[in-house]
Amino acid sequence: MTLRLAGLGLDHSRSRRRDAGLAAGCRAVVAACALLVGCGGHEARTLKMRTALDEGAPRAAIAALNEELDVKSDDELPKDLEGDNALLVLDRASIQQSLAQFVASSRDFEAADKAIDMLDLARNASDSIGQYVFSDAAGRYKAPPYEKLLVNTLNMINYLERDDLNGARIEARRLAVMQRYVAEQLHEKDNAILGLGGLLAGFTYEKSGEADEALRYYDEALAFSGYRALRDPVRALARVSSYKSPRIASLDGPDPLPEPLERSNEGEIVLVVGYGRVPHKVSNRVPIGLALTLFANDIEPSNAAAANKLAAQGLVTWVNFPTLARGQGAYEIPSCKVDGGYVQLEEAVDVSAQVRAEWRKIEGKIVASAISRMVVRLAAGVGIQAATQDNKSTAVQVIGLLASLGTQGALAALDTPDTRSWETLPARVAVTRVRVPAGRHQLRLEARGVSRTQAIDVPKGGWKLVSLMALR
Amino acid sequence: MNARLGTIVPFALLTLLSASAVGCGHKEYVRDSHDPSIDNAAMSTGIDKDDIQRMLSENLNNLRNAPIMDLWRSHKGADTVAIFPFQNATSEHIDSQLGAVLSEAETWLVESGVVTMISRERQNQMIAEVEGSQHPVFNPAHAAQYGRQLGAKYFITGKVEASDERTDDARRVQYFFFMQVIEVETSAIRWQHKAYITKAVR
Repeated sequence: MTLRLAGLGLDHSRSRRRDAGLAAGCRAVVAACALLVGCGGHEARTLKMRTALDEGAPRAAIAALNEELDVKSDDELPKDLEGDNALLVLDRASIQQSLAQFVASSRDFEAADKAIDMLDLARNASDSIGQYVFSDAAGRYKAPPYEKLLVNTLNMINYLERDDLNGARIEARRLAVMQRYVAEQLHEKDNAILGLGGLLAGFTYEKSGEADEALRYYDEALAFSGYRALRDPVRALARVSSYKSPRIASLDGPDPLPEPLERSNEGEIVLVVGYGRVPHKVSNRVPIGLALTLFANDIEPSNAAAANKLAAQGLVTWVNFPTLARGQGAYEIPSCKVDGGYVQLEEAVDVSAQVRAEWRKIEGKIVASAISRMVVRLAAGVGIQAATQDNKSTAVQVIGLLASLGTQGALAALDTPDTRSWETLPARVAVTRVRVPAGRHQLRLEARGVSRTQAIDVPKGGWKLVSLMALR
Repeated sequence: MNARLGTIVPFALLTLLSASAVGCGHKEYVRDSHDPSIDNAAMSTGIDKDDIQRMLSENLNNLRNAPIMDLWRSHKGADTVAIFPFQNATSEHIDSQLGAVLSEAETWLVESGVVTMISRERQNQMIAEVEGSQHPVFNPAHAAQYGRQLGAKYFITGKVEASDERTDDARRVQYFFFMQVIEVETSAIRWQHKAYITKAVR
């Protein structure tokens, strides 16, 4: 691009040289803007993956993620897990789980678990400055509580699918650490994810022969959901455990307990079905006037005054911020068959509801900070223009205007709404637990047009856990 | 005025470019014999070579001077000893590292020459026989049974527990590593010792 200065009244060679330097600066600003434009944020990075999942092609979704992560195979982790790649690995872990690639899924969950935790712990003042000046997406990712709790909860399923109680216990302990952190440091004591986490952790400890630990987790799980299928196992455990609670005691009754599994020559099957996908975040762009109306209560008075002034001047100024897209599949009715007969599932957790509830808590703050950034952008632009407007040279004034617009434009382009989130979480998870005669059984789990047919051998007194994640 | 503009334009440039200036660097493979410092850094809250060496050195130095070692020395290698997997009761996936701890301890005992160690391959066969082929996984509750079937007089086992805590800006894992020698016939604990290791992210 060539910026012509001819005809703007510059006839002194000294001025010409000086202004040529400024023109070069201007060109550089424009070039820098061009470099910065075109960043679509996290939602653009995952578009191919979501499209593939919508089409019922999870392998294509993994291929899209591998391409984005710059790795050659499902087993390879990216060289750099310190940035937002950790979220993509988390997405890949969920999809690997849906493909019954439980070992690979565990490896991805564990790598992402540590990376997400590290990102969370590493947040510092520079993240806040980046978020204040440029964009919310400029800071390190901070996982919301439900994501932190679901990493270990879903990975427990991977270990239980492989009959690995040792691995499942480790995940249960990690869940307990995170649960304590969420309750004590984030002051969230009633996160519904704990209903599913408690159920799986309780089952893990029950089958490990640790009745007290099992009841402690079941007690937590029962606080969120009735779990009819848990009544008899909990009553049986309560007879041999010293753990007591009013909730556990309330399950007891005069009806006799079923015979122990070994004596009745039976085993147990736990079925877990996750279906649909939670709402992901998308970029939103609204005029300043509308943003001021929608989020009036969340905006600081000084920013509101500055923004109102702009709106009153009739300036078309836009505010970029993320919002939640529609979730999908939450109203599906999944089905499970054991040896051709239907078994009823119970809802364990509505993950989409957790996502929406968490979003409602922070949405106002996010829009308020987007408005703050817009005010900062305009101030920067106005400052540059003011520095040149008194100059007698028209050329300098034009350059000042261009530099001002360039700075505002570039900062606006940098202001990518933070659309980062774990997008491949199931919208809902349903579970059931049934006793079956020891031996071979045929299972069929189905939801959202995705099915898993599995033959399993249930040993006498033993157990099996089978899951389906229909992420469409 | 132009001077002011001259300072503002570079400033605007700097602001813009700083956002896109991501540090570029390249990685290389290194070997400890060329750069011994590569073993120094803690890379995670799991356990590494340095932790294993410190835990084992504390426990095995204690075992070296324990009465059971004097008894074994007096029997001139006639006592047969099996070594069973260490239980991972922590919140970290450190099973492969515990396998390394087991091998190090086994090597130390073989090199000491005071006992006859039973091969771990035979132990795995025995575990499969006791637990059944469907779930041939070591069960600590059956350790004495494995020992009897292996013809071992003693077995060595251990356990790692952890206290894992998380705050807004730190995560700390305190490991407690226990080792013990158990007499198969009586299930009596003939020796036990502990070592502590702490890892943290802060």
